[in-house]
Amino acid sequence: MTEYLIRRIIQSVLVLFLISILSFALIHAAPGGPTQIFLSPNLSAEAGKIQAHNLGLDRPVPVQYFIWLGNLLQGDLGYTFKNHIPVGKILWPTVGNTMVLMGAAWLFSLIIAIPWGIYNSTRQYGISDQTSNIIAYLGFAMPTFWFGIILQQYFALKLGWLPLSDMYTMGKQGNMLDLLYHLILPVTVLTLGFLAAYSKYSRASMIDVLDQDYIRTARAKGLKERRVVFRHALRNALIPIITVLGLDLAVLVGGAALTESVFNWPGMGRLFVQMAVAREYSVLMSITLLVSVFVILGNLLADILYAIVDPRVQLGRSGGASS
Amino acid sequence: MTDMILEKAVSAGTRNTAQGTPSAAQPPVPEKRPPGPWKTAMKKFMHNPLAVTGLIILLIFVLAALFAKWLTPFDPTHGDLLDSSLPPGTDGHWLGTDELGRDIFARLLYSTRISLSIGFLVALVSVVVGSLIGAISGYFGGWVDTIFMRLVDVMNSIPLLFLNILILAIFGSKVSYMIMILAFTSWMSVARLVRGSYLQLREMQYVEAAKAIGVSSWGIIFRHLLRNASAPIIVNATLMVGAAILSESALSFLGLGIQEPDTSWGKMLSNAQEFMLVDPLQALYPGLCILIVVLAVNFIGDGIRDGLDPKKSTIPQRRLDKWRKKFSKSGV
Repeated sequence: MTEYLIRRIIQSVLVLFLISILSFALIHAAPGGPTQIFLSPNLSAEAGKIQAHNLGLDRPVPVQYFIWLGNLLQGDLGYTFKNHIPVGKILWPTVGNTMVLMGAAWLFSLIIAIPWGIYNSTRQYGISDQTSNIIAYLGFAMPTFWFGIILQQYFALKLGWLPLSDMYTMGKQGNMLDLLYHLILPVTVLTLGFLAAYSKYSRASMIDVLDQDYIRTARAKGLKERRVVFRHALRNALIPIITVLGLDLAVLVGGAALTESVFNWPGMGRLFVQMAVAREYSVLMSITLLVSVFVILGNLLADILYAIVDPRVQLGRSGGASS
Repeated sequence: MTDMILEKAVSAGTRNTAQGTPSAAQPPVPEKRPPGPWKTAMKKFMHNPLAVTGLIILLIFVLAALFAKWLTPFDPTHGDLLDSSLPPGTDGHWLGTDELGRDIFARLLYSTRISLSIGFLVALVSVVVGSLIGAISGYFGGWVDTIFMRLVDVMNSIPLLFLNILILAIFGSKVSYMIMILAFTSWMSVARLVRGSYLQLREMQYVEAAKAIGVSSWGIIFRHLLRNASAPIIVNATLMVGAAILSESALSFLGLGIQEPDTSWGKMLSNAQEFMLVDPLQALYPGLCILIVVLAVNFIGDGIRDGLDPKKSTIPQRRLDKWRKKFSKSGV
């Protein structure tokens, strides 16, 4: 177990390292180049040269990369181009807001999707199952942000039941009820996409398990159907779902970024879009890395959890699920 | 490639009829010529109502995009400010006009052009690149494989939308750039898929035979293996069209994709959200177009997948399951 853990962690760190190289290379390929990232625009040409020398921008690119990486590891994310604000100062507050939105959507979709999937597996091709099928097709084909706009128009503008956008009403910052009130629409939008996927996964894995011999044995010895489904089948059916939860994180983060932009939620995704329009490369790079760390950690956790929950998984010999 | 296989099937068929006894009087005589795999797939596809509907819908959209000029008298880029925000149906503006007085129907038509061409081209480029990379790393293995698969790992670890935005912000967003960028960020799934099937296929005996008669590695990769790995590639390519249309719309919606005076469905949606208070209907049409086209493409993809899958019969799974249940209940 420890050996497997260590190998997976090393693998993850390696991937992160490569991501940092990739994004660094991308930024250096940008027109305007790295000077834009590190130098303040108010400097004169000579001062700029001195500054560039001090910052090491006249050194070869690989050297620059390691200096940047060193700063990053010490928590120094660089400065914004326009106002010369430390990136961390504008980035960290948005992270929490994104977590709130994503966590709520994730929990909500799990709470609905897994029981729904289980129900559908016991009543295949029933009305509920067909509904979930239709929702899955729609969920995969519909632009989430469009769904958000439509909901905004109907529930916020036409009916006036729910707030149009933002995280809090003006002057009610930190009010829990107000936050929940503002969460309803974005969480609904995010949930729709995941509801379909998760309920399909849980249905499929439940059907898989219900087909197995030990379930027939359980039924044959006269157990009640409810006991068979919930005590015998469910435990094993939940195992594959765990991996899916980890793998979908990348999609979830992306969906959250779009939803944040639609609902003006002050999160990381909206910041990323704003900074992309303003071409603040240092912020873009920091967020890209942060989001990747998040995704990789999610995958790692899912793998480890999978290994813990399912004793049939041979640790160390599989060499990691990602390769 | 398809033609060659079909040709073979046909020639095999004619040989059979020449040798066999093609008298129609005998009931157990099989079909005149055995249908090839592509023909069977085609037949199955045509018997799939959802897939055929998807194909018809997609064709309608493609035709509308091609003949946009003749379908509307209005110019999508020029509007009369006096005619701004007209309700649907006034003065020949079927769907009304937007806040600048531009005809919404005309804009939809021209958006279809850009959104569809981005969808198809991105799918094409990324499938070609992905297949090539997957084929090379699957066939040769070793360090080439390690490098490419690490690259796939790296690119899969960055959320797609973020990667797209990052590159768009760096290089700017012309239509041609968008196609390259979207293709650059979506070849990974095809590469994985193709690598997987090449890993399996390279152990086949006919590969050994081909090597023995001196076929070069590239000959084996492109002539012998690609043909056998083509089914999943085609399915993936179809589904990728839908994914590319969705990505394009998302990026354009965020203001990073298609720029004025060009227009796409996502661009129209971003406009619509801005003027939501003035004209709530504007957001409806482009979104519906995206939904319908992506649904149609996905149905076609599913249809091709089921058609190419020899295990899938034309009988729907649902009916099969019912029969199975009946059978097992009747007591074996």
